[in-house]
Amino acid sequence: MNIPGFVIRNALRNKRRLILTVLSVALSLFLFTVLQTALNELTQPAVSEDSALRLIVRHRVSLANVLPVKYQSRLEQIPGVEICSKFTWFGGVYIDEKNFFPQFACEADKIARLFSEAVFDPKQMADFVQDKAGCVVGIKTMRRFGWKIGDKITLKGTLWECDPELTIRAVYREGIDETDLFFHHEYFDELTGDLGLTGTFWIKAKNAEAIPDLVERIDRSFRNSDAETKTETERAFQLEFVSMFGNIKTLVGSISLVIVFTMILVTASTMSMAIRERMREIAILKAVGFDGVQLLGLILSESFGLSMAGGFIGCFGAWLLFNHINVYELTDGFFIKFEVTPHILAGGMMVAAILGAASCVMPAYNTIRMNIVEGLKELD
Amino acid sequence: MNQPMVQIRDLTRIYRQGDIEVVALDQITLDIVEGDFLALMGPSGSGKSTLLHIIAGIDRPTTGQCIVRDVDVATLSETALADWRNRHVGFVFQTFNLIPVLTALENVEIPLLLTSLSPRERRLHAETALELVGLTDRMHHLPRQLSGGQEQRVAIARALVTDPTLLVADEPTGNLDAHSASDVLNLLATLNRDAGKTIILVTHDPKAAAHARHTVHLEKGELLDAISAAPSP
Repeated sequence: MNIPGFVIRNALRNKRRLILTVLSVALSLFLFTVLQTALNELTQPAVSEDSALRLIVRHRVSLANVLPVKYQSRLEQIPGVEICSKFTWFGGVYIDEKNFFPQFACEADKIARLFSEAVFDPKQMADFVQDKAGCVVGIKTMRRFGWKIGDKITLKGTLWECDPELTIRAVYREGIDETDLFFHHEYFDELTGDLGLTGTFWIKAKNAEAIPDLVERIDRSFRNSDAETKTETERAFQLEFVSMFGNIKTLVGSISLVIVFTMILVTASTMSMAIRERMREIAILKAVGFDGVQLLGLILSESFGLSMAGGFIGCFGAWLLFNHINVYELTDGFFIKFEVTPHILAGGMMVAAILGAASCVMPAYNTIRMNIVEGLKELD
Repeated sequence: MNQPMVQIRDLTRIYRQGDIEVVALDQITLDIVEGDFLALMGPSGSGKSTLLHIIAGIDRPTTGQCIVRDVDVATLSETALADWRNRHVGFVFQTFNLIPVLTALENVEIPLLLTSLSPRERRLHAETALELVGLTDRMHHLPRQLSGGQEQRVAIARALVTDPTLLVADEPTGNLDAHSASDVLNLLATLNRDAGKTIILVTHDPKAAAHARHTVHLEKGELLDAISAAPSP
């Protein structure tokens, strides 16, 4: 027998309690991993070389305010702007509200160049550009609804009082979010009575170095106008978009903190019970020569092992699960992917380690302070 | 005459329970020579267990000295005292205090986990100790698979395995039937006689004390008499 063997035997002495505790830690860390992954998906969108060149010009007040279309000609004249397209969030419903997917009205002939990292079929895109009522759809949404090229679909307007009837002319894949639908802004204008408005302008800069200067120049151009602008990178825009749902980061962080704190209490309670049952044995171990540090090592090892086992099951269970299920379908397209990254796994295991150490602080402290004679009296 | 192995000088132990002071030991002076088998006798609350605990280094005196092989035990730090106990003291208690999830062999090995012995050496030492107490055939049994007498013999083997200077036994037969008690006391007497182990036995049973070479009586924390030779069992 050796010390690790002794720790394992001690941990296994009440198997039911051990299993329940490990499972509760596992479940909590599974939840923690899911929350962190969700937060990651919402706040850390992937940044490609092309997306780093894109800028979004929106109303300074909020995303709910629109910009005059007439700004476009001034934007296109600003040095450093390669492409500038009107871009309006349509937010329509396809048959049922649960069938959510992003829809945008934009300038058809600029889409392929604006999102050059995505793969478009040139022939299909030519058809899309030709057909004013045509649309281009991401492969995931195509698969989700079993659509094919030539299918006609109707989007029921919720933000705008119109129901565009669209024909699917092209499909794109890779590079950008594969759930989006793009249709002609011209058609949108026609349906809404040509209001001369756009939700945003999407700009592609000529090079990344020009971006800081470009952001400054654009916003300066429209300062003191009726509709002042706020220009930001695609990534910043996405983060701001997410923040419209509320302070998700704080919310998820708070829930995670509560989970971790609750688990510290549960594990500490388990360790306290386990140690209280063994007071006389601990007194004997002290009597035969184990000192405070050695006993702390034994208790810490047991608590640490228990937490790490739970952490491993919870974190890697989440990783395994989300590697094998289609989160996109499960969440009706809310989450495009749900990748439990090595960073999140490491974070989860770190939490498990902290849990293991923190939960045994009080029981271990009491054990170290325990008088041997008092401990021996527990048995008499 | 042998040199005193244990020298107790003016030893007092006072417990405080709130404002009340309880004098458990009052100015005890006592010498125990190497190779002795001493019985500490007295009624409940007489202080015999307290004296044993101080000699064994699991309690500290309020005043006075307890010197074991030239070491004033009370002056050692907690860590040094733990190490000292591991090397110099073997404990046998009334309740056997074996770890229920470990086999007899593993229970005996526990004190050796703190030594620099290799796993193989630890196992050999533990097997030898179990052989000495006549439990070779039970070494892989769990405590619940052993009788009370056998459990106490495992506890004695655990106390012996580090080859300690002192073997202290606190009412070791208190939980045993007469036959098992006699076996355990005979074993202690044999260890004293044949292996030269210095043993201090706390008991209130005159029959148990009769196995010792000498007996001292305590009452209300005071030593009643000088060391007297015990009658033969």
